Amino acid sequence: MSAATLDDTTVPKGQTPRKGHGRIRSRWAPYVTVLKYALLLFFLVFFLMPVYALVVTSLKDPAEVGVDTVWNLPSTLSFDSFATVWPKLQDGLVNSLMLAIPASLISSLLGAANGFVLSKWRFPGADFVFPLILFGMFIPYQSVLIPMTETMSFLGLKGGLDGLILVHIIYGLPLTTLIFRSYFAGISDEIVEAAEVDGAGMLRTFFHVALPVAPPAFAVAIIWQFTSAWNDFLFGAVLTTNRAYWPVTIALNNIAGGQAVPFNEAMASALIACLPTLLVYILLGRFFMRGLMAGALKG
Amino acid sequence: MNVDITNAEAAGITLDGVDKVYRGGVKAVSGVDLTIDPGEFMVLVGPSGCGKSTLLRMIAGLEEVTAGRVHIGDTDVTNKLPQQRDVAMVFQSYALYPRMSVRRNMEFGLRMRGTKAAERKARAAEVAETLGLAHLLERRPAALSGGQRQRVAMGRAIVRRPKVFLMDEPLSNLDAKLRVSMRAELSRLHQRLGVTTVYVTHDQIEAMTLGQRVAVLRDGVLQQCDTPANLFHKPVNLFVAAFIGSPGMNFVSARVEGGRVGFGGLSIPVPEGRTLADGEVILGVRPTGITLPGEGRPALTAVPEVIEDLGDERHVVFPVAAPRVDTDATRAAVDAESADDVLLPDDHARFTVKLPIDVPVTLGEPLELAINPARLHFFDPATGAAL
Amino acid sequence: MRRFRRWGPALLLVSPSLLLIGLFVYGFAGWNAKVSTSTSRGYQISDDYIGTDNYEKLFADERFGLDVRNVLIFTLVFVLGAMATGLVLALLLERGIRFESFFRSSFIFPMALSLIAVGIVWRWLLKGGEPVGGLNKVFDSLGLDFLVGDWYQSGSSWAIASIALPAGWALSGYIMALFLAGIRGVPDELREAARVDGANEPRVFWHIVRPMLWPVVMSALVILAHISLKTFDLLLAIVPKGNLGLDTPAMYMWYTSFDGGFYGRGATIATLLLAGIALVIVPYIWYSVRSERKK
Repeated sequence: MSAATLDDTTVPKGQTPRKGHGRIRSRWAPYVTVLKYALLLFFLVFFLMPVYALVVTSLKDPAEVGVDTVWNLPSTLSFDSFATVWPKLQDGLVNSLMLAIPASLISSLLGAANGFVLSKWRFPGADFVFPLILFGMFIPYQSVLIPMTETMSFLGLKGGLDGLILVHIIYGLPLTTLIFRSYFAGISDEIVEAAEVDGAGMLRTFFHVALPVAPPAFAVAIIWQFTSAWNDFLFGAVLTTNRAYWPVTIALNNIAGGQAVPFNEAMASALIACLPTLLVYILLGRFFMRGLMAGALKG
Repeated sequence: MNVDITNAEAAGITLDGVDKVYRGGVKAVSGVDLTIDPGEFMVLVGPSGCGKSTLLRMIAGLEEVTAGRVHIGDTDVTNKLPQQRDVAMVFQSYALYPRMSVRRNMEFGLRMRGTKAAERKARAAEVAETLGLAHLLERRPAALSGGQRQRVAMGRAIVRRPKVFLMDEPLSNLDAKLRVSMRAELSRLHQRLGVTTVYVTHDQIEAMTLGQRVAVLRDGVLQQCDTPANLFHKPVNLFVAAFIGSPGMNFVSARVEGGRVGFGGLSIPVPEGRTLADGEVILGVRPTGITLPGEGRPALTAVPEVIEDLGDERHVVFPVAAPRVDTDATRAAVDAESADDVLLPDDHARFTVKLPIDVPVTLGEPLELAINPARLHFFDPATGAAL
Repeated sequence: MRRFRRWGPALLLVSPSLLLIGLFVYGFAGWNAKVSTSTSRGYQISDDYIGTDNYEKLFADERFGLDVRNVLIFTLVFVLGAMATGLVLALLLERGIRFESFFRSSFIFPMALSLIAVGIVWRWLLKGGEPVGGLNKVFDSLGLDFLVGDWYQSGSSWAIASIALPAGWALSGYIMALFLAGIRGVPDELREAARVDGANEPRVFWHIVRPMLWPVVMSALVILAHISLKTFDLLLAIVPKGNLGLDTPAMYMWYTSFDGGFYGRGATIATLLLAGIALVIVPYIWYSVRSERKK
């Protein structure tokens, strides 16, 4: 499970520059290269095609929009579509921010503590507990929704954002724990032992030795949790009854989900709802990727 | 069983002005000319980063040659892919295929070259027998010890009966004792198979014990290629002199004047048959070139600073009242990155001498020694070349 | 006492998390299973016990049978498609490609998007019928008429398979990243040894790299399969409400529980879903933890 400790980017780089670069090429190599780039371009078009449609349609004049002209460039730039959907999404965006930020921060902090204990201060039975925590990462949320609505309304936490935040913290814990456990496992045991010899207890070792070296793991955990909380639909749909507390995904589904919605408005609202996580991905993609790889658990 | 693994057809290797420049302009190997005779055991040696591995990988075809030609036998293989060269290679990490049994590891090269299954099996069995691996044939590499893995790697190369064996530090992952016995086994194998072998190591003892000839490299440039004895006794420059031998050669800055060479209050006649121009030189003498006094040899008084008992011999280190020699060449030879890597109390030279164990030596007590003038080496302080 | 002084603070530190996970994951799953043995309806959990009645009714329910069939078709097409695409992408990027990180990012970014948004975009791109638009328009203008179709609106029993296209679009990049990490985890020296042993590049891949990719293949299969079984957001955004031809257990669970208030039936579907996912996930976690311990 070393994936979360991968250095540099997402995936290990190709061969070290020392080796491999100077390889002798077979005579087929030029053809293979051309074929490779051709295929890559094909896939690039496939993957970017929806984005193109999204952007182009959102920027068209509503009169110009049609399913049959989806690939045409706009003849004039128009922000009318955005203007129409913005008021309906505005609250959702604010709600999503207000839930995703605290949820990701708290979930990461708790995950750091768990990860530290599970990798460096293994209490008897830790090896038994860890797989149980991991399972929480894969559980289908459908199988907890009914008891959860019941419990949350019993606790008076149903309907508002605080209940939603709590739920996101808890279901985020398995992954944050895993991320920090792998990260701390990559740190030499001797550092912890040195702190112990110097007389530091568990808590002091955690706060003074482990946390100061953990910012990269925090970046991974926070970014990944933020993205998941932002993109969540199920919890929000079950726990928020009042449209004033809808996260953006619920708002989006309600604006653009109906088949009767104008094409351009659907696209504009989808674009707005995606923009924050897309920005996070573009700016901090490597941390995002590490979270992704950690989730794959490879031994 | 009559083992038929000796009929490999040996081929020589010729490197002709070989250069390797990496992307970004780093020159790893420059202008190496080297001829390796058919059946010869050639060792490439040098400190880390000297280009010896790159050179080997260019012979294997794993690395493209930037300039120059490589011939194996009569064939120009400069632009040939590794699979077209009929060479076998033993890697430092052994590079055993983890998902294959020992047998399938050994048969892999034959399989890729289309050898029939029955013959593959027979050959793998023969080689396994010779290397004492017969009982391990069905195991996976992960279930083997370090020494066994090493032998499987050797076996995988031998089975192929290639024109050339290439070995990239094959013993460096073994512990010290095993390394010595594997070294002996390697020598025996080479004598028996007679296959041209190019062997890369950073360990000069390995180089001297295994090589029929040894090529010393530094910064991608071939310094000297000669027999071990000649490297030891007739190094062409300061670097080779410093690199070969353990403990290393002692160096001191000295001055030649009127047929005598002087340093630290000592004046020694320049050995017979050698003429040296007056001026600064670097004088070198091996630890065995300093002996107990006798037969009119120039005397030397040493005050021991460090005494290392090795059981049957004793290394004594003492200061000499002359500046120590610290050039790029001597530093490169010990793989030191800067002068600070070795902590010394002053800038005087230190000499090490090997003495028999029965000579009494006490720390700080003056000791009478003598220098054997026949064993002196002289180097040009500017170029490092032997004079 | 000494044991407590050593482990006490550590246990105190993790116990809130452990308790919460215990309650919200295992407690709720158990409770849900209990709800599935009650009549619970009208958005109420009732305490009666009716044994396996809900399960029996569900297995007799034509809609549920169709759902299972749908999710299996979807899983098959989606998992195979995403695996193949991911592997091809990884092989293309594996070595010496210029702008590698640009290509890589372009293939992975859908992972960062909300599946509701992904569904909304693809719902339009996959629209069938007149006027010809979206993907059909592309095929039409490229002369690939045979690819023009009604996709998820086709009404065919394989219509659900067309949802694998957006799902694969969203997740192939992830699979690519897994394969890429796996391929690059193969030491250079192994490939070099194989080359010297006479293998050309396809054979190096087949004999050396491929056997070492099995752990990655297993991971990818398990991850895709479990995602596929619980796919919900994407379907919700694409499939018009009430279109039972594209229904799956996850959708059925949602509509019956939160649209109809039939908690008993919803909990039954959810329990079966959990069982199905546990079937792939539990061995996987067991295997990962064990192989980690071996190191």
